[in-house]
Amino acid sequence: MTRPSFGQRVRRNEDARLLTGRAMFVDDVNLPGMLHVAFVRSMMAHGTLKGIDAAAARQRPGVVAVYTAADLGDYCKPGPVLVNPPPVPGHVFHGCTQLPLAKDKVRYVGEPIAMIVAESRYVAEDALADVIVDIDPIDAVVDLEAALKPGVPLVHPHLESNAAAHVVQRKGDYVAARAKADIVVKRRFLYDRGVAAAIENRAVAVDWDPRAEEMTIWDTTQAPIPIRNGLAKMLGLLESQVRVVAPFVGGGFGPKIMMFYPEELLLPWAAMRLHRPLKWTEDRQENFYATTQERGQVHEAEMALSKDGRILGVRDWFLCDTGAYDPYGLTIPINTQCTLLGPYDIPNYETEFTSVFTNKPIVTPVRGAGRQHGVFVSERLLDIAARELGIDRVEIRKRNLLGPDRFPHNHEIMFQDSAPLVYDSGNYLPTLEQAAEIIGYDKFIREEQPRLRASGKRVGVGICCYVEGTGIGPYEGARVTVEPSGTVRCATGVGTQGQGHFTVLAQIVADALGVGVEDVRVVTGDTREFHWGTGTFASRGAVVAGSACHAAAMSVRGKILDLGSAILGAPADNLELSGGRVKVAGSNDPGIAFGDLAGRANPLRGAVRPGTEPGLESTAYFGPDRGSTASGVHAMIVEVDPETAAVEIKRYLVVHDCGTIINPLLVEGQIHGGVAHGIGNAFFESLVYDDQAQLMNASFMDYLLPTATDVPPIETAHRETPSPFNVLGLKGVGEAGCIPTGAVFAQAVEDALGPGAGVEINEIPMSPNQLFELMHVSGKERA
Amino acid sequence: MNLAGTFTFAGPRATVWALLHDPAVLAKALPGTKTLTLAGPGRYEGAMKVSIGPLTAAEFAVVVTLSDEIEPSHFAMQIDGKGGVGFAKGSATVDLAEGADGGTVMTYASDIQIGGRIAAVGQRLVESVGRMMMKQALDSLNAELEARVKK
Repeated sequence: MTRPSFGQRVRRNEDARLLTGRAMFVDDVNLPGMLHVAFVRSMMAHGTLKGIDAAAARQRPGVVAVYTAADLGDYCKPGPVLVNPPPVPGHVFHGCTQLPLAKDKVRYVGEPIAMIVAESRYVAEDALADVIVDIDPIDAVVDLEAALKPGVPLVHPHLESNAAAHVVQRKGDYVAARAKADIVVKRRFLYDRGVAAAIENRAVAVDWDPRAEEMTIWDTTQAPIPIRNGLAKMLGLLESQVRVVAPFVGGGFGPKIMMFYPEELLLPWAAMRLHRPLKWTEDRQENFYATTQERGQVHEAEMALSKDGRILGVRDWFLCDTGAYDPYGLTIPINTQCTLLGPYDIPNYETEFTSVFTNKPIVTPVRGAGRQHGVFVSERLLDIAARELGIDRVEIRKRNLLGPDRFPHNHEIMFQDSAPLVYDSGNYLPTLEQAAEIIGYDKFIREEQPRLRASGKRVGVGICCYVEGTGIGPYEGARVTVEPSGTVRCATGVGTQGQGHFTVLAQIVADALGVGVEDVRVVTGDTREFHWGTGTFASRGAVVAGSACHAAAMSVRGKILDLGSAILGAPADNLELSGGRVKVAGSNDPGIAFGDLAGRANPLRGAVRPGTEPGLESTAYFGPDRGSTASGVHAMIVEVDPETAAVEIKRYLVVHDCGTIINPLLVEGQIHGGVAHGIGNAFFESLVYDDQAQLMNASFMDYLLPTATDVPPIETAHRETPSPFNVLGLKGVGEAGCIPTGAVFAQAVEDALGPGAGVEINEIPMSPNQLFELMHVSGKERA
Repeated sequence: MNLAGTFTFAGPRATVWALLHDPAVLAKALPGTKTLTLAGPGRYEGAMKVSIGPLTAAEFAVVVTLSDEIEPSHFAMQIDGKGGVGFAKGSATVDLAEGADGGTVMTYASDIQIGGRIAAVGQRLVESVGRMMMKQALDSLNAELEARVKK
């Protein structure tokens, strides 16, 4: 028998290629006659573009072409709005997207102005300085609140203000709930994010074959199929003339989704004119401006509670930085609105946001995608309420969790996938209890903390809950084929950026067909192999593409059984699939190998029976009406140095429920990576802009990522509450590790400093400098 | 970037004023200056090579325009530097007062916006590089002044 792989710690199929340097990345594409591209980018954040003189660059030896907006003609159109706003009644949304090359106006440092194509990257980079760009500066819009004041320069002058969108969502009657409350806690919160900092920067390589009239584009995209569809349309080609390959990609985290970045649009266009292959690989500095990032929100929030700590309602009002353009619609702030509700029973909720144009790089989702911001607000308000009511932090959470009998639970407001926010399933209390148990919460509070405090150590524990909306539609597909060699191929449309698709999707197919995981060859991210689908985002790969793989594999299983039944002369019910063979259950007869069966299913003579198809191959799709909601609890023990405000994370625990687990090893990998991202967000990473929106720390010298010494060993425990929304019971896990990290960090640090310190952390990131100042100011105020 | 400070020259105000307006002297005094010429009344044009942290030998085309000149005590400058790695744009004022022992006390202040890669990766170092260049330039000018006074 082939042992089912579900739930096993199966090692990754892709690691041999990755670890021995045989995996292909876009920058590995080197074609004869290839030209190299560099971009002239705006050095000013805001200004009128008065002129571009590229004459000297065009004359530099080795430069093949220089293109500006004027050279693009009709191709110079604003890019598409990628995600339309969900149908929230009364919402306002001004979709403003960028041109491939700036014309008339520049709106952020790094906005592309001219494209230089040269025989080498060296020549292309040298030619950047030859281009003279005349920009008349306009005062930059930097601060979110100041941006909305009258008289401030407008990022998009055709609008009345710098407001990009305004949305109000309501559930119940917050005003009435507030009137009945025993206590209302109200605070202002700042929550900032940063760059995705994928190891591999973006890259695009293009080969246009003018005789075959076929284009191949290698692109570090998370969404090769939408990129292919969009580019074919823009270039006037059939979709079948364009092949987009997203090979191995060194991390996506959101900004590599189907952005239709200027570089993605311009290289194919230029390749069709120059009849030469082209390549552009982003450098790390460009990545800080030219790749989208996620930034800050300012919240004014209040929570109304009864004196026994039950939440009666929440009101939240916030501003959200969307940068110079808003191609990704409202995904981030809608995620913030929805995720704020967490695992809690919040009967009355009023949430309003304004997203704001600024002269900073474009904001689109980065791992977590606004969920962190919402979780921070609700978890902090609960902490403050617990303190004011004299209720334990874990206890107040327990009192407000949705019970297991409350699912599916309709929160009544609209989620990012344009469907109402409905939690499919969940079992929150045991998750919280297990986390408190493993971290030793009671004992820590009762014994260890007082003992360590007495010896001068500032140690604290934090514990926070969260949910993660995952696995949203619209759909993904897969084609499973048994080849005559017996090898099983599974082609799907999602791109892969290191998550382990070659393993989890193989496991799903392997278990359906009774073959080994290593016998399933998964193909991802190549539109020639599969060309229907959307992409890798919103922690949906396993849930949506995985369910499609399962459906396709089950259909192939049916074909194997049908044909096997005919050949073996036994009813399908009596057959078993194991070790790559179909045989009569319990019989000593070895049956037929899948490869032989595949050959019999595709005969050179004879006829394929009416109502059947040749080969052992099936294509299937999965499109969930709505996503599945994962959940979890993070707990952390920290020690704060009272002199330097340095924080050492002593323990970090994640108890996580992502439904049925395909592979615990990979789930833990996702959680570990996410926690590292979260720790960076909480304590290290910060994009610092000056008053003219110049990014002042666009390098890893100044923009600090957590290193191996900053990320502690991460303890994990798994719970499995299957989703009823898909056959396998799956929920996503890609973003779980980074969502509540800021909130749990703030709680743990406050706890470490103790009630006497008077420190309340309402801002993330909280660098050692900021924490030092906060400790100092509170201390002085007390004195 | 805001560079401000005072410096005492060991020589008379009129000579200091003359030195500060002499492109040949300034070209020698300002570190990294490749060329500096008087392009018109109160307008100096030149090229400088500056190293700031990871940005080595970054070349800038520089235009300095003088205004509000009250000889020999005050002038203002508009500074406009552009290069492949960024720009520096801003204004500065220089006041010269007679000091003790026949010396001249210079008080200067500047407000310069920088952008592009020098802001992105050099921001932490720009101010200290600026101060260092200023000190070298002033020391060098003072040496030239002392040589002239001795003659």
